[in-house]
Amino acid sequence: MSFAKAFSPALREIRIIFSQTGPASAGTRQFIVSKYPDIKKHNPDLPVLIREATGTPARAFARFARGVEQHVELENLSAPEVEAKVAELISS
Amino acid sequence: MLRIVSSVSRPTSTGLLGKVAVTTHTPHNGRRSFSSTSSRGADITLTVDGKEVTVPQGSALIQACEAAGATIPRFCYHDRLAIAGNCRMCLVEVERSPKPVASCAMPAMPGSKVFTNTPLVHEAREGVMEFLLANHPLDCPICDQGGECDLQDQSMRYGSDRARFHEITGKRAVENKDLGPLVKTSMNRCIQCTRCVRFANEVAGVEELGTTGRGNDMQIGTYVAKTMDSELSGNVVDLCPVGALTSKPYAYHARPWELKNTESIDVMDAVGSNIRIDSRGVEVMRIQPKTNDDVNEEWISDKTRYAYDGLKFQRLTTPLIKRGDRFVSATWEDALAAIADGLAASGAKDDEIQGVVGHLTDAESIVALKDLINRLGSDNLALDQPGGNAAPVHGVEKADAILLIGTNPRHEAAVLNSRIRKSWLHTGLEVGLVGERADTTYGYDFIGEDAKALSNFIAGKGPFVEKFKNAKRPLIIVGSALAEHPDGKAMYNDLAKFVEKNKDKLVTPEWNGFSILQRVASRPAAYELGFPKFIYLLNADEVDPKSIPQDAFVVYQGHHGDLGAQLADVCLPGVAYTEKGVTWVNTEGRAQLGRAAVSSPGASREDWKIIRYVFSWPIYRWGPLPYDDILEVRDRLWDISPTLVRYDVTEPTSQEIAIAGLKTLATQTGGAKVAGTPLRNLSQTSTKLILYQERESVTMAQCTRAFVKGENYGFTAFA
Repeated sequence: MSFAKAFSPALREIRIIFSQTGPASAGTRQFIVSKYPDIKKHNPDLPVLIREATGTPARAFARFARGVEQHVELENLSAPEVEAKVAELISS
Repeated sequence: MLRIVSSVSRPTSTGLLGKVAVTTHTPHNGRRSFSSTSSRGADITLTVDGKEVTVPQGSALIQACEAAGATIPRFCYHDRLAIAGNCRMCLVEVERSPKPVASCAMPAMPGSKVFTNTPLVHEAREGVMEFLLANHPLDCPICDQGGECDLQDQSMRYGSDRARFHEITGKRAVENKDLGPLVKTSMNRCIQCTRCVRFANEVAGVEELGTTGRGNDMQIGTYVAKTMDSELSGNVVDLCPVGALTSKPYAYHARPWELKNTESIDVMDAVGSNIRIDSRGVEVMRIQPKTNDDVNEEWISDKTRYAYDGLKFQRLTTPLIKRGDRFVSATWEDALAAIADGLAASGAKDDEIQGVVGHLTDAESIVALKDLINRLGSDNLALDQPGGNAAPVHGVEKADAILLIGTNPRHEAAVLNSRIRKSWLHTGLEVGLVGERADTTYGYDFIGEDAKALSNFIAGKGPFVEKFKNAKRPLIIVGSALAEHPDGKAMYNDLAKFVEKNKDKLVTPEWNGFSILQRVASRPAAYELGFPKFIYLLNADEVDPKSIPQDAFVVYQGHHGDLGAQLADVCLPGVAYTEKGVTWVNTEGRAQLGRAAVSSPGASREDWKIIRYVFSWPIYRWGPLPYDDILEVRDRLWDISPTLVRYDVTEPTSQEIAIAGLKTLATQTGGAKVAGTPLRNLSQTSTKLILYQERESVTMAQCTRAFVKGENYGFTAFA
C-alpha cells in the first residue's frame, strides 16, 4: 500500500514510538524519514505523533473513531516490513 | 570585594539596548568549551587533617576541605557566586603559613598540609564570631531567620561561651532599605557577607545593589533609594545567612521547625523549577527552591516563590451547578447527573464536543481528557491559545550564539534567563533578538522586530549573521508568542528552511539548535499528547468568551473560580499543583514528578479522577476510561509517549527525524503571507502571563503595582 494518499477518515491519529539509537528501531527510523513527509503531505490534518525515548521498543498505534486503538510491534523489523505492518494497521 | 565582582561583569545590558548591533567584545574563535563550567585542569593532591584528598586544580581550599569531609563554617562563600573572602569565618591552618588563611579565597596547592581542627583554628573562629556578633542585634526571638540562621547555628557551634561586649554607646544602627514588596530588610542584622550584592550583580543582572562606606560604616543598598526590580529577587532571602533579608509575605507567619517539607515541581512557568513546598497543616506557608543543576540550579523566580498565596482565595471547593444566573453548590452525584443531562440535551456529537486544556494542567489529566473526548467520538481538543510546534529549549549553557525570536525570557522563564546571562558573562556568548526590545540583563544585537527583519537575517543581511554563522553551537529560541502572531506561519516557514539549509550546524547528532520556549507549565505535555457544542474546560481560563456559543453546555473543571468558571454550566472542583502528585513536562521536554504537599480543600478531587468518573456512568454505552489508579494512567502515558514516564531526563530528538519534521513544517507553512506587524513580547503587564492563581495572589498584585506601575505601594511602614 502506498502512503502517498489520503487515509480513511475513520483513522484519527497515528503514533509511532521508538528509540533514537537502538538497533531494533533502525527500520522504524528509516520508515519515518522516507514516508513521514508523504503521509503529512496527503493527510495534513491527521495527527502523526513521533515520539522517541532511549531504549523503548518500537511500536505503532492507530486510533480510530470513538477512541478505539490498535497497535503493532515494530521491534527488529526492517523498513519494508515496518511499512507493511503500518499499512496493515491503518487499514484494519 | 567589589573589584572581584566587577572583573566578571561585562558591560551592562542597559548600555547596549539603545544601539543596534554593537560588538560587545572580540569574538574568540575555537576556544569555546562544551559547557560553561570552567575546563577541568589536572588533579592535585593535598592533605586535610591527615587525610589525602585529590581535587581539580584551581579549586578553592574550602572545596578541598569539603571533599575531605571536614566541615568549614562560612558566611560569605557560596558555590555559585564569585568569591569575596570577607567574612573570615572559614579560617584554617596551613602548614608553614604564619597566620590562619581564609580557605575560600585560597587556592588548593598540591602537597600542602591543612588542619581544620586545631586550637589555633578554634580560637580564630571564636574571634571572628565575636567580631561579627559585636554589632549584631540580639533580636533572635523576633527574627524570621530564627531556626534557619547560619549565624545562630555557627555561633552555637564555633562561637565563644560568653560575651565581652560592654560598649556604652550600644551597637551599630543601620537604616532599613526598601527593596520592594518581596524582600524585607532589617539591616542592623547584616554582617556584610555581600552574597546578595554578588547575586544581584552576577546572576540577576541588577547592578544597582552594592556596598557603600567602609569598615564599621559599610552598608548594603542601592545608594539612591530604589526597589530591587528583578524577577529573581526572592533568592537573596535564601542567600542571606542572617535575618537581614527576609521574605516580606512570609514575615511572622511560621517558624521553620513547624513546617513540613515536600519536594515538588513548579508550574508558574514552563521551566519546571524544582521547589520545596513548606506547609503547615493544610496551608502552604512558603515555596523554596530545591537544587537541581539541570533545571534551575538553586534559583527560582519570584512568581514561583510568591504566587502561592493565590491558592487560598477564590477556590472551588464543591461542585457548582448554574441555576439561572447564579451558581448553586451541589453534590458530586448531582453535578455529574447535570453534565449527563447537559450532554444529552445539547445533542452534541462527534466534533461538536470540545475539550480545552488550560495553563496549569498536568500530563495525567490531559491524557484522561484526551481519552474521554476521543471516546465521545470527537477529536476536537484545543489549548486555550493558538498552537505551535513543540521542540524543547535545552543546552542554553552550551550554545555560543543564541537567536531569540519573539520572546523575552526574562519574564517568560526567569531562571532560564539567568542561565543565558551566566553564559554571556563567562563564555562570550552572542545573543541576537528579533522582536520587541527589552532589558534582558545581557547585551544583544537587535535585528528587527518583524517578519521582514527575520527574513533579512535569513537571507544573510545584517551584522548578526556573521556571528551566528561562525558559532559552533548556534541555538534558535522561538517564543511561543510566534505561534499566536499573524505572521507566525511565514516566520516558521523561513526558519524551517533556514534550519534545513544549515543543518550541519543546527541539527547534528549531538546538538539540536532549534527550540521553542513554552511559557506555561501544561503546554509541553499537551503538545506531547497531540491535542488539536459540548465544551469541557480543563483549567482553561484564557478562553475567549465569544468563542463559546450561547447554547453550548460548558463544564469547567479547575481549582479557582475565575474567568473559565464564569462561562460554565457546571463547575467541578479540581486541585492545585501543591495538592497533587502528578507529572509535569518542562520546556526542555523533561518529565518531572510533583508531589502533594497539602490536602485538597472541600470536596475537590484530583483532576484525572474527576475526568475518569464523569462519564463512568452506566447510561453511557462506552464504559469508564480504562484506568483505576495513577499507575495505570502512567501506563497509558507510556503508550502515548514513553518520554512522559522517563523522569528527570531529557530525551534527544534524532537528527534525521528532526529534519523530516522541519521539511514538512516548511511545506505546510509555505506560501503564508507576511502582514508585517511587529512582534510584541508578552510582558509582565500582559494578562496573558498572569495565571489565574496569580490573579488571586495579593503579593503578585503588589509586585505589579511596585514594579510595573512603579507606584509607591506604602509598604515601607512595615519594613
